[in-house]
Amino acid sequence: MSLLLPMQSGLLPEGLNVSFKLIPAILVLAMLGLFLVIGFVFKVADTEGMWVAGRSIGNVENGMAIGANWMSAASYLGMAALIALSGFYGLAFVVGWSTGYFILLIFMAAQMRRFGKYTAPDFVGDRYNSDTARAIAAVTTFLIGFVYAIGQARGMGLVGLYIFGDLGILGLTGYQSMVVFMMTITVGYLSISGMMGATKNMAVQYVILIVAFLAGLYVVGYVNGYSTVLPHIEYGEMFSVLSNEFSEPFVHQSYYLWIATAFSLVVGTCGLPHVLVRFYTVESERTARWSTVWGLGFICLLYLSSPAFAAFGTDLYSNQIGDVYGDPGMTSAAGDVIVVLAAQLSNLPTWFVGLVAAGGIAAAIATVAGLFIAGSSAISHDIYANIINPDATQRQQVLVGRLSIVALGVITTLAALNPAAPIAALVSYAFSLAGAVLFPMFFLGLWWENTNRQGALAGMTTGLIIWIIPMINEVLPTYVSSLDSTISPVLAQWVPAIGSALVAVPVVFIVTIAVSLATEEPDMETKRLVRQCHSPEPMDRMESAEEVVSTDGGEDVEGGDA
Amino acid sequence: MYDRILVPTDGSDVSEVAIEHAVDLAEKYDAEIHALYVVDVDAVSFGLGAEQVDRIRQGHLGEMEEVEEKANDATGAVADAASAHGIDVVEAVRVGQPHAVVSKYADDEDIDLVVIGSHGRSGVRRALLGSVTERVLRSTRKPVLVVDFEPED
Repeated sequence: MSLLLPMQSGLLPEGLNVSFKLIPAILVLAMLGLFLVIGFVFKVADTEGMWVAGRSIGNVENGMAIGANWMSAASYLGMAALIALSGFYGLAFVVGWSTGYFILLIFMAAQMRRFGKYTAPDFVGDRYNSDTARAIAAVTTFLIGFVYAIGQARGMGLVGLYIFGDLGILGLTGYQSMVVFMMTITVGYLSISGMMGATKNMAVQYVILIVAFLAGLYVVGYVNGYSTVLPHIEYGEMFSVLSNEFSEPFVHQSYYLWIATAFSLVVGTCGLPHVLVRFYTVESERTARWSTVWGLGFICLLYLSSPAFAAFGTDLYSNQIGDVYGDPGMTSAAGDVIVVLAAQLSNLPTWFVGLVAAGGIAAAIATVAGLFIAGSSAISHDIYANIINPDATQRQQVLVGRLSIVALGVITTLAALNPAAPIAALVSYAFSLAGAVLFPMFFLGLWWENTNRQGALAGMTTGLIIWIIPMINEVLPTYVSSLDSTISPVLAQWVPAIGSALVAVPVVFIVTIAVSLATEEPDMETKRLVRQCHSPEPMDRMESAEEVVSTDGGEDVEGGDA
Repeated sequence: MYDRILVPTDGSDVSEVAIEHAVDLAEKYDAEIHALYVVDVDAVSFGLGAEQVDRIRQGHLGEMEEVEEKANDATGAVADAASAHGIDVVEAVRVGQPHAVVSKYADDEDIDLVVIGSHGRSGVRRALLGSVTERVLRSTRKPVLVVDFEPED
């Protein structure tokens, strides 16, 4: 088996102006500088007042942070790309990613706040009283960070081509050089930004990305005469002129694939560790709920715009470059930069196109930061400090955390040199994983007190297996030259890697419930913890379910010792 | 000569070797001991997540039970040793970059002597883990007594 990386991978979006451009380059560097300055100004300096409540983070600011943490290159670039390339199929992303937040809002945000832990594996480990479950959740978290970030690296690599041109590092292609360059910047940024809080910076990142995206959409729509005040609706007029993918849904992709993709994205949203961490730390359950609402609102600003941007881009492409569909058609590389390409093809000044590109980079960096920190805390807190070395000092945890980030950066870069799929599809693999392994554990853990350790272990293992099989089937062949494109097309049709959670989630639920029923019920302490997450009595600010249970028993105790 | 002696501790064996020396000095000089634990922001960020840094900034360190417990255990060990000899102890927990906080605390509380343990690491281990003690030495103008930790093999 020969496992080699750079085979073709000279991804080059046709039509994109690939050259070094001074003003956009300054724009991107200034943006990164701004993040560092904000982090430095708001760093935790001397905190004598840390035991007294400081200024709390409001719903709107939390919502912006949710938006920035959430919207990656997949939302900014990948969503429009899939809509441009596959028409209605791409809407699975708009639907899946926004519906996911409703489930989160209704079933999990406030309950998670009540449980009150630090990391996602913390929840799994404490809820199921098992270090093995904690370790599986931690490894899954790390894996999600890795898979998710491949898409981000691809996005940054492609967009970076417009801004910095072909760097030609060490004989790599222009795209590959840019992946290495951008990932180095990202990891470097992360390793010096440790002392800084996340929320302020994320709010700024949100503002940058949404302004860049909406400005791009409005200006492109206006200068080409597509739209005036409400491009989100006005692009509907173009349905007839746009090609078949827009007007005839499901010509090339089956209904089943659409449902599988959308379902995976919904459950994946509720299982992503870097999304859930925010809910542990918000002020109260109320803040948890309202932050989610604001977050969803901020996210929808972009999601409702994305189809319009895709339509404009597709039309510009077919007028100026060639047919979007058919042979040869638009490549997935060009699709992934359709947002930037649309601005460039509108003959807008380079600084403006650079702004649109910079927004994509801000989106990617904000999300990679969240993912990598979630990955590093899974390793350094959940595996190293909780399991391997309970006496670990803080310095050792920092070291392990930093090494995890570097490791994530390196493997992500290597995998992104020759990515298997467009950005949005790459990211979907991570959603399938989060949906298959973590979502059932969170959902059952919060809502069914009889879910026990054995059930959780069996369920998570099942989820991992169902996720890995289609990944080997469809994705591995890209990296292993001796394998053909897809090992089993039938398997790929029914358990697609992009939507494997549709199959995995029901199976994992059944396995977890069956095993839990067949084995001993969890102890009273655990059950009370779960009940406390749903108690109608509002909890005080800064309280967690564990505290309530350990102080007053949380409720009348049936025979157990309080 | 010494009225207030500062013992920065992270709860490890290494920092505990300093306690004995600090207590002995405090007894001789009739001094007060300050036990300081610094919650390392980097450790919070990389270990627990960036959101937790915001939690601390909002003044919610109290709800991070495990962190608080670790801090109290560390300063408690110093307090126990000191009170066994009838010495007054001030326990303090701060958040920030350890060396910067230690040196700031020493200035703010008018400390006369810092007694601190060190791994005495060298080579690769030192390059990777760094030395808080070394940085404290460089960033404070107060007298510092460094006690090297010698592991029993």
